Amino acid sequence: MPERQAAASVSLIRRIMRLVSILLPLLIALAAGHVAEGRPYINDKKAPEDSKDLLAIQKAVQEVLPKARAATVCIELGEGSGTGVIVSADGLILTAAHVSSGVGKKITVIMEDGARHKAETLGLVSDTDAAMARLTDKGPWPFVEMDRDQSTRLGDWVFSLGHSGGFEKERGSVVRLGRLVRMANSTWQSDCTLIGGDSGGPLFDLTGRLIGIHSRVGQQLGVNMHVPMSEYVNHWDAMMKSEFIGEGPFAKKPVKGNGFLGLATESAEDGLRVIKVGARTPAEKAGVKEGDIILRFNGKAFAKREEMRDELREMSAGDEVRLDIRRGGREQTITFELGER
Amino acid sequence: MNAKLPGLLAAIVLLGRTTAQQSLESDYRLTGPGVTSAFGAQRAVLQTSSAVILDGRREAGYGVVISADGFALAKSSEFSGLKKPALTIDRTKYEKVEVKGADQVWDVVLLKVDARDLVPVNYAPASDIAQGSWVVVNGATTRVNRRALAGIISAKPREIPLSGGAALGIVLKAGDKLEIEAVSDGSGAKEAGLRADDIITAIGGKPVKTVKDIAAALKDRKGGETVKVTYRRGRETKTSDVRLAAKGELFGQEMMSRNDAMSGEVSRRRSGFPRVIQHDVLANTSFIGGPVLDLEGRCLGMNIARANRAETFAIPAEELREIAERMIRAAR
Repeated sequence: MPERQAAASVSLIRRIMRLVSILLPLLIALAAGHVAEGRPYINDKKAPEDSKDLLAIQKAVQEVLPKARAATVCIELGEGSGTGVIVSADGLILTAAHVSSGVGKKITVIMEDGARHKAETLGLVSDTDAAMARLTDKGPWPFVEMDRDQSTRLGDWVFSLGHSGGFEKERGSVVRLGRLVRMANSTWQSDCTLIGGDSGGPLFDLTGRLIGIHSRVGQQLGVNMHVPMSEYVNHWDAMMKSEFIGEGPFAKKPVKGNGFLGLATESAEDGLRVIKVGARTPAEKAGVKEGDIILRFNGKAFAKREEMRDELREMSAGDEVRLDIRRGGREQTITFELGER
Repeated sequence: MNAKLPGLLAAIVLLGRTTAQQSLESDYRLTGPGVTSAFGAQRAVLQTSSAVILDGRREAGYGVVISADGFALAKSSEFSGLKKPALTIDRTKYEKVEVKGADQVWDVVLLKVDARDLVPVNYAPASDIAQGSWVVVNGATTRVNRRALAGIISAKPREIPLSGGAALGIVLKAGDKLEIEAVSDGSGAKEAGLRADDIITAIGGKPVKTVKDIAAALKDRKGGETVKVTYRRGRETKTSDVRLAAKGELFGQEMMSRNDAMSGEVSRRRSGFPRVIQHDVLANTSFIGGPVLDLEGRCLGMNIARANRAETFAIPAEELREIAERMIRAAR
């Protein structure tokens, strides 16, 4: 008798378990405080089973792709290129910290159609690879919605966009499909393959909402890492205020006075005469020659070399300098970045 | 007592789910059997209409079956290096494989095995299908069964220009004369029969006197084009059509970029194609040469180069069909 009772309660538990497993997606959504609207049914299946399921994924991607693509931009700065995504009509861009590489840097943004625009980097989180930038022109710009509530779940189908290897107009940004395969606090992993140039690019859910930003890859093809939206949401105000957050490794904090020009000067009649340019220095690479007269340094005229030294002490490696020089009676402007001392 | 059970159970299951949320089992990732098993119909097409290329016991790539009587296409530059090639189609291994022709523009070789009643691919009516559309290619095979791997069309169809610019494939001796020192293997110059000590006198009918003249004559030339090269050999003057190849690939001077370093294996010849479609299937170079199928099992193209970790190129169905028909006609 006691045995039979045990069996009965086991079967009851089984029945309840079955019920619970049906209710589970809903329960989890409730536990998270919301039910995601328009969540594609395919995400609550372990795997697609037939062509109907496969077509559901394909159709979802194709419906939202044009809008996602229009907001995805190539970012060029210095010698490198990455990707970013516009998230507001007035031109706010989310990207990776190792792409923006600093605060207040001037960057070039290339739209899908090849149009080039000016932008400037805002704040970044250097230890998780999140960063913001803003287009200089007011817009309105094409943009995508962000999944601020982080409603995405493990195994959800996702797609990535990015200017793999740099901007190629004939190709466009490259779309890749995958699933969310790992979720840790500040890093998500998908099996959408990424390559250099994709960094800073967007990861979308099947409804076209932005859920992550591409950061880095592992050795295996299935190991592709993204910064989740929470990193942006949690540091939103500070990033908007152009703060440099964290201690790296994805961006180096500027150190005042570590900028390096690579030339020696002496006072001349109407400025500073360059008496030596070091080999392989930023000045040499930018084309500064011995004998050039520096008329202005970042717009300021200096009569003594100590004045220029004091100005340099307020700057950091990676900062831009503009030299108005005179060479053989002709004036020209040379612009380049300071090296690291 | 029972009334409290569901809540408790839910909590436990929820907890279990939270822990499991760290990582998706590999079976259900993109290349896992849980996902690829949804492509059973396409796998059946790969079983009969793709050819496994073997080099001894090693799998060396794939081919596309294009006729019932034993013709198949494969990637030429990969096939030509094999020592002991054999083909497996469906469950039959063909030890004798004849090379019946090659198209250097597309890097395609025509193979023939002694077979009847093979099932050739059924070409899709158009290869320019929407981005995001599913595609299916060969995954790692067993001796008897093909496997499917899936991805999507991921960029616009387009030309892939010659990497590093166009080259004839010759190295010149130092000096004022345009005298050949060496001819590169796999180059158009080699195919056209040019050799050391020949002296280049004209390209495309225009006389050339310096290296700069040659560079100017080759500038803006496209992959697959040929140029008329006039040269002096001893007392004779000859003219040959020379196929242009990618400078970067010919001389192995292509810089090993950071992207190459993180890509793993890439195809040696991966540029200079008149038109390709692009997909994102997650695999190494092993599926190159095999068909790209759509969800209906029709052939959208043939995998021709893995360019990097995230980009694979395929010859589009329209061009593939033309190549197949032209080469079979020439071989019969």
